[in-house]
Amino acid sequence: MDNKQIIALFVRNHPGVLLRVTSLISRRGFNIDSLTVSPAGVDGYSRMTIRINGDDNQVSQFINQMMKIVDVKKAQVLPENHMVASELIIIKVAKSDVDTHNEIISLTSSFHASLVNIGENTLTFRASGTPSEIDTLVDELNKYGIIEMARTGIAALESGDARLSAAPAQSNRAL
Amino acid sequence: MKLNGSEIIAECLIEQKVDTVFGYPGGAVLNIYDALYKYSDKITHILSSHEQGASHAADGYARVTGKCGVVIATSGPGATNLVTGLATAMMDSIPVVAITGNVSNDLLARDSFQEVDICGITMPITKHNFIVKHVRQLAPVIRKAFRIAMSGRKGPVLIDITKDVTSAVYDFEPAIPEAPVMPLESTDEEFKSAAAAIKNSKRPVIYMGGGVVSSDAEKQLLEFAEKIDCPVASSVMGLGGFPASHRLFTGTIGMHGGYETGKAIDNADLIIACGARFSDRVAGDRDKFGKSATIIQLDIDKAEINKNVQIDYALIGDLKDTLRKLTDESEAATHDAWVAQVQEWGKNSEVSQTPDSDSYAHPYHVIETVQKYMSAEDIVVTDVGQHQMWVSQKYKFENPRTWCTSGGLGTMGYGMGAAIGAKIAFPDKKVVLFSGDGSFHMNLNELATVRSYSLPIVIIVMNNTVLGMVRQWQKLFYGSRFSQTDPHRKTDFVKLAEAFGVKGMRIHNDGEAESVIKAAFECGEPVVIDCLINPDENVLPMIPPGKTVDDMITEME
Repeated sequence: MDNKQIIALFVRNHPGVLLRVTSLISRRGFNIDSLTVSPAGVDGYSRMTIRINGDDNQVSQFINQMMKIVDVKKAQVLPENHMVASELIIIKVAKSDVDTHNEIISLTSSFHASLVNIGENTLTFRASGTPSEIDTLVDELNKYGIIEMARTGIAALESGDARLSAAPAQSNRAL
Repeated sequence: MKLNGSEIIAECLIEQKVDTVFGYPGGAVLNIYDALYKYSDKITHILSSHEQGASHAADGYARVTGKCGVVIATSGPGATNLVTGLATAMMDSIPVVAITGNVSNDLLARDSFQEVDICGITMPITKHNFIVKHVRQLAPVIRKAFRIAMSGRKGPVLIDITKDVTSAVYDFEPAIPEAPVMPLESTDEEFKSAAAAIKNSKRPVIYMGGGVVSSDAEKQLLEFAEKIDCPVASSVMGLGGFPASHRLFTGTIGMHGGYETGKAIDNADLIIACGARFSDRVAGDRDKFGKSATIIQLDIDKAEINKNVQIDYALIGDLKDTLRKLTDESEAATHDAWVAQVQEWGKNSEVSQTPDSDSYAHPYHVIETVQKYMSAEDIVVTDVGQHQMWVSQKYKFENPRTWCTSGGLGTMGYGMGAAIGAKIAFPDKKVVLFSGDGSFHMNLNELATVRSYSLPIVIIVMNNTVLGMVRQWQKLFYGSRFSQTDPHRKTDFVKLAEAFGVKGMRIHNDGEAESVIKAAFECGEPVVIDCLINPDENVLPMIPPGKTVDDMITEME
C-alpha cells in the first residue's frame, strides 16, 4: 500500500520552525521517510521537502495541519507527473572477488554513479537521481552488502513556471 | 517615546483593551510586576494561589467575555505550572495570551536558576509561541500574539520574555490593534450544494459545538434551525449556544447524551455539524456515527474536515458568516413528523436514580434547585467528572458564555480558577461552581483567592467521597475492582472553608437542599456547600466508549 507523495513547504526561517514541523508530524502520527530543509531563495524563508507515505485523505490532513503552523506560509503536494525531483546518495559496498567487483562497476555505471573512493575492502559510490532511481540502486547494491550509506533527502520543484512562494495562500489560516 | 520592556508590555496590553490580568510574581518577572504597580490604575492584576489557578482564571474570563484572557507567570516552575491551563484552553479553542519571564540572555541555555525551555514545552499545547530575546521585537510580538489568539480558530499563545528585555529601554509607538482574521473560504457553489442537500433531507439534525459560542453565532444558528425546522443537539462545549427551552433542542449528544439525541443522530438522513469536531466522546464509534446520513460540516478550521468522520459538504469560514450564507441559500421547510418523532424518543429517556434517602442528596435535585435561583444570564462553572456530566444533562442553558467547563482536556481542578475568572469579569452575575470532592481537592487553594477578593461564588462540592466517574467505569468494565477510587479522605469541607475565611454549609439530603442553597445565594459571600451524594449514584444514560446508541446503558446495579 505504498502511496508516497512529495510535499513542499514554504516556511519562515525562524528558530524552532523545524521543531514545529517535526513535532506536528510526530504527534499527529504521520508517516514520512524524507525531510530536507534548505534556503528557499527568498530572504527570510526556507523550503522544506517532505516525502509522506499515506492515502489522499492523510495527505490532505497533513497539508491542512501544516497550514495551522504560523511559520508555515505555503504547503503543497507536488504533482507526481509534473515535478523535478532528485536526491544524492553516497554508498559504501563490500568488494570481494574480481567478478563481483566488475558486476558492481557495471551496475553502478548504468546508474551514472561515480566511484569516489576505494578502500581495502570497500568501494564508495556517489550517485544522484530521482528518489525511485536511488531506491532501485540501493536495492541492487544490497545484494553485494551495503556497509553504510548516506542520502541527502529529496530536493523537488514543480515543473514549468510554477513558484511555490507565489502560489495562492491556502486560506485555512488566520495569519 | 522611550519605555522599558515592562512598560512596553503594559502599554501593549492597554492597546489591546486588556484591563484585567491574572498571575503570580517571581524573580524573572520582577520588572513586569514593577510596571504593573505603575499601571495599576489601568490594569487590574488578580493574584492567584498557584499559577495553574491563574491560567484557568484567564481561560474562564475569556469564555464568559469573549475577550482574550491574559496570564502572567515567572520562569521555570511558574511557567510549567501554566501547562495544564494552556492545554485546557488549546483543546477548547479558548483565546489566552500567557506571558512568562525567562532568565536574562546571558544566563539562557546554562541551566540557570528557574530556567526552563517553556517554548519547547508548550509547542504542542499552544497555537503559537514566541521567545523574545530583544526589546525591539517585544511590541510587534505582543500585537501578533493577540491577533493569533483571536483569529480563525481561537487558542492560547505564549510569549516568553527574557528578563533583560523587560528592563531594556526602547522606542515605543502606540498602534491601533489590527482586527483578527476570519477567512471565508467556501464558494457560492458549495453553499448552494449544501443547501440542496438540506432541501432533499427528510430527517435533518444539527449537531452544534463550541464553535457556535466561540464565533458568537447563536442568533444565526437559531435563525437557521427555525428556517429549516431542524432538531438541534449540542456537544457539551456547545451548551448555551442554543436555548435549552426551545422546542427544537434535544439536549447533549454523545457518551452521556440523551436517548432521543442518540436515536435522532442514528436515524438522521442529514447531519449538519456547526462548529463541532466529532470528538470520540460525541461520535463513539466514528465509523458508525451518522452512517446513513449525509454530513455537512461548518467550521473555521479546515483541518477538522475528514479528521474523525468523513464529510460530504464542508463549508469553511467563521460560523456567523457561513450560517448566514447557508440560511440565505436554504429554503424554509417543516419537518413536523420528524421533530415529533425525536420528542417521542425523549419520553423513553428516563434513567434510574438511587432511591430517596436521608443520608444523601440527588445530584439532579440539587442542580434543579440551584437553577431556580439563577437567571438565564448567570454563570455555571464545573470541574470534571460525574458532577460535570450531571450538570450538562440537567442544567438548562439559555445563553452563550454562561457555561465554563473543560470539555476537551477534561481537566480536574479547572473549576476554581475558571469561576474566579468568570466572577472577576462579571461581578454582578451570580457564579456557581459545581465541583466534586476529587476535583475540588486539586485546586482548593484558590479559596484563598476567592476570600482575598471577596468573590461571592457559590461552590457546590458534590461529595460522594469517591472518584465517581472512574469508579463508575470500574463498576462497568473492571468487575467493580475499585482501584484507588475510594480515597477515604476525611476532609471536612465546612471547616476547610471556614479556615480560608469562607462560609461553609452542608446539604445532607434533598430536603435540606432548598434552604441551604437559598441561604448561600442570599448571604452575598463566598460559600462552600458540602453536598453529600450517594457514592453509587451513576451518570446515565451512558454509551460505552467506541459504541453506538444501540449499546446505551440506562440502568446499573
